[in-house]
Amino acid sequence: MQDAEIISLWKSYDNKLNQYLQLSRKNTEEITGLKVQSFISSMKPVKIFTILAGLIWVGFVDLLIIGLWHTGSPFFLVSAIIQVLLTKAAITIYLYQLYLIYQVDSAMPIVKTQEKLARLKTSTLWVARLLFLQLPLWTTFYLNSGMLSGGGPWGWYLLQAVVTLLFLIPAIWLFVNIRFENRHKKWFRLIFEGKEWSPLMKSMEMLEQLNEYREQNTSQNHPDEK
Amino acid sequence: MHSSQQSTAFLNIIEENKGIIYKIANSYCLDSEDRNDLIQEIMIQLWLAFGKYDSRFRISTWMYRIALNVAISFYRKEHRRYQLNQPLSDNLLYLRESPAPDDEELLNSMHRFIRELKEIDRAIILLYLDGNPQQDIAEVLGISVSNVSTRVGRIKQQLRQKLSTLKP
Repeated sequence: MQDAEIISLWKSYDNKLNQYLQLSRKNTEEITGLKVQSFISSMKPVKIFTILAGLIWVGFVDLLIIGLWHTGSPFFLVSAIIQVLLTKAAITIYLYQLYLIYQVDSAMPIVKTQEKLARLKTSTLWVARLLFLQLPLWTTFYLNSGMLSGGGPWGWYLLQAVVTLLFLIPAIWLFVNIRFENRHKKWFRLIFEGKEWSPLMKSMEMLEQLNEYREQNTSQNHPDEK
Repeated sequence: MHSSQQSTAFLNIIEENKGIIYKIANSYCLDSEDRNDLIQEIMIQLWLAFGKYDSRFRISTWMYRIALNVAISFYRKEHRRYQLNQPLSDNLLYLRESPAPDDEELLNSMHRFIRELKEIDRAIILLYLDGNPQQDIAEVLGISVSNVSTRVGRIKQQLRQKLSTLKP
């Protein structure tokens, strides 16, 4: 089939569309009553709830740290401080990304806009990395000096060490390996399976598409470069 | 521009270019409910951006960019940048009756082929089929003209092969 025939086929479809396509002016006019919403009020309720729950949690832990500063076990204080710092970092990164996504101008060229959106979305991997990193802290916050002073059975110490290591090693490994480059690995897809992760996975697919366009752009502008 | 003037100007532009919106929505959404949602979302984003429209660019370039950006990222419904005082009506753009094209099978096959393309390739072929010069396609996408030329050539080749098997 020749190019001219393809264009002609599309043109005939276009002509028929122009004949039968109807704009509901009255319904469309409702849209002109819309105004740009503020960043916070534009978020879905479940997202607002999640962020609020996170903020309440860090507030609560901060109060515990302050209240128990002079009397609490050092293990609890150190675990709580690290946990709350990691959670605050995760919330800050998450909010900042959402804000940047909200700011993206869809009147900009497509490749640039989609790359920006996809990179912003995939950088939420940082949030997952930080949240995994706090896992071992949940095996140490309850410890105190008395427990570790040597009076207990050795089996208990062994169990404690094993449990902490079982959380620490995967936490560090996941922090290092949850990256865009590992998106095709089975374990990655297992962790990030599910409807809530679908936008993230699709953003990563989009980045792959965009990489092809960028490589082609580069090789055509600089044919001698590899 | 006075707001009712702006509203009228916007509605006129949509009326003149409604085909662009429908064709893009139809290529990115097979399901009619999703298509209506996407059409609504595109029109909303066009309205929200209308006040900042730079007249140095052609209106069609501006519309294609926004409509395609919305369509391509439609799966990621993170935000609504607008305030809904009341639910918007669904049917903003619709077909009065189903047109019976002359080469229905060929056209359906073409639509199927377009929907199977990756999102950016889909944008390229839609722009090409709508008669946009490669320079304009490059401007909408933000890539080089030679990149557009290579991509269009590749996609057309695949399309020709697909349609040739059907054509008697």
